Amino acid sequence: MTVKVFHAELGTAVTTGLLGLAGMIGASELGHGWTESGPQPGYFPFYVGLILIGASLWNLVAAFLKHRAAHRHAASGGEVEEPFLDRERARRLGVFIAALLAFVVATLTLGIYAGSILYIAWSAWRQGGYRLPLALGVGVAFAVSLYLIFEVIFKIPLLKGPIEPLLGIY
Amino acid sequence: MGNFDLLMQGFGIAITPMHLMLMVAGVLMGLVVGVLPGLGAPNGVSLLIPLTFTLDPTSAIILLSSMYWGALFGGSTTSILFNIPGEPSSVATTFDGYPMARSGESTRALTLAFMSAGFGALLGVIVITLLAGWASRFALRFGAPEYFAVYFLAFAAFIGMGSAAPAKTLVSLATGLLLASVGMDSVTGSIRLTFGFEDLLSGISFLVVVIGLFGIGELLSTVQEGLRFRGVASRIDLRDVFRTIAELPRYWATYIRSGLIGIWMGITPGGPTAASFMSYGIARSSSRKGAPFGTGRPEGIVAPETADHSAGSCAMLPMLALGVPSSATAAVMMGGLMIWGLTPGPMLFATQPDFVWGLIASMYVSNLIGVVLVLATVPMFAALLRIPFTIIGPMIVAICFVGAYTVSNATFDLWLVLIFGLVGYLFSRLDYPLAPLVLAMVLGHKAENAFHQSMVLSDGSLGIFFANPLVSGIMAVGIALLVLPKLIALGSRFRRRVPVE
Repeated sequence: MTVKVFHAELGTAVTTGLLGLAGMIGASELGHGWTESGPQPGYFPFYVGLILIGASLWNLVAAFLKHRAAHRHAASGGEVEEPFLDRERARRLGVFIAALLAFVVATLTLGIYAGSILYIAWSAWRQGGYRLPLALGVGVAFAVSLYLIFEVIFKIPLLKGPIEPLLGIY
Repeated sequence: MGNFDLLMQGFGIAITPMHLMLMVAGVLMGLVVGVLPGLGAPNGVSLLIPLTFTLDPTSAIILLSSMYWGALFGGSTTSILFNIPGEPSSVATTFDGYPMARSGESTRALTLAFMSAGFGALLGVIVITLLAGWASRFALRFGAPEYFAVYFLAFAAFIGMGSAAPAKTLVSLATGLLLASVGMDSVTGSIRLTFGFEDLLSGISFLVVVIGLFGIGELLSTVQEGLRFRGVASRIDLRDVFRTIAELPRYWATYIRSGLIGIWMGITPGGPTAASFMSYGIARSSSRKGAPFGTGRPEGIVAPETADHSAGSCAMLPMLALGVPSSATAAVMMGGLMIWGLTPGPMLFATQPDFVWGLIASMYVSNLIGVVLVLATVPMFAALLRIPFTIIGPMIVAICFVGAYTVSNATFDLWLVLIFGLVGYLFSRLDYPLAPLVLAMVLGHKAENAFHQSMVLSDGSLGIFFANPLVSGIMAVGIALLVLPKLIALGSRFRRRVPVE
């Protein structure tokens, strides 16, 4: 799967435009006009949303113009537009983002310590090609230093899951 | 009391065993953050802010600013040894630093970079020392309309002077302003733009956004390139260090020119990154003899480094005196100030002289510490990059999420980091600037309050922004910064009839 820069630009411009629209809708529910005491609470976000939509439209048009120019350039024997993501990069990025997502889910269910042990160990084992015991060791060492820095030195509790109480850590 | 007496009093505050320890710790942490890809100065400082809640504000700002200096130094280290800029502002250092290190002169390249950086920082701090009193007295005359005009000027400068397309900067700015208005409105007390999500009631923390945008976003960019670090040997030879120091006076012209560029870009919201590129470009175009730039010319290291650091330190002045930060890191630090219960702006100088002058004095000391420490520890930190990415990458990810969680102990923030990580990746790939988004998130409430108050004062007439010479002067400069650079570019394009590169 190859993603073109043009498609990425379009997607981003449409998303930021929708964000502006959401801002305007949310703000108009609060009222964006004037009262005796000055502007209503929705006044500022309403116009910021409007500006955001305007700028997004501008980017959209700019992307179309650039795409057309590049097309003509390619047709006359020039270089073809550089892809935003080729297959190899997309695969690398996809694996990393999937692992990231799994890490967040693991952290929310098992706590930050268990989540980071699993994530770091998995990455060192499957991606780095280290032996599993070593990979687990790296993960545990990381979690222990997190515990020492945050909970012992700075007294900041981190997110814990169901495992820590079994070890007597609260 | 003159500035000098205040500065001496500041040294009394800054030079205590506790503060010196914080400076060393801050610089060291900054070096780590600067060296590692994915951890830069803005999100390094964001990660550290929750840990400073237990410190008093003076100690906290000393720790954070020392970390900033360390990160600036660390960014140059990787630029020179690995051709990987640890910070966006040290990209220009790679052009000549890496070739020089490759040809076997890594000690010379590093010494040139660190001494220039130290000199630039010193120049910046001197400017702050001289201007601080004047700037705060000037800003005391400001009312709500003037403040809004200053915020407008900051936003306008980003749009007009930035290197990105104006509409993209505008999208970044407006997104930041919109994100800042989520949650409780500080003027009317109503709940805005939460769309029924209870997690959004307390608003979106800019710290979480910065960690996502700069931390995870930068890591994603690193991953897609399948990064392999290829470094050059990094042993420091003391004799080479002194020999290089002895050749420094030869570049006096480059130093002065780059220092001035840095100071200008630091005080106006150009920021260190723009300053270093501009300084490199000017040094290249004004050199006539010798080897071409890009092959390891000493001036090619001196120019960007001096400008980078003088801009970085000068960025503290508008942040302290006006409450308008001119770089992403300064914006994060200003957010920290507000979290500690201080209000940046002219009143800070009157009500918290110990804080302000302690910070300024600490900038002299910690930059000195920085130059010494960075030379002493280069081999150690260069070794950090020899750790394979499959181990260090996930650790950086975990640190980012832990840092985001400690901001307000909310699990929802973990999702926000993930979302903003993707946004940061997309934005930086498509040349949307990230600094305006951060700036807008930090300044959003203040800009809106200033606008609201001005409108109440004037009964809804925009004329109040042109009511007296001071406010109309600031607005005029803002409008000029907004349109002039693009008009000039357009004009020269018409004259030459060739597209500008």
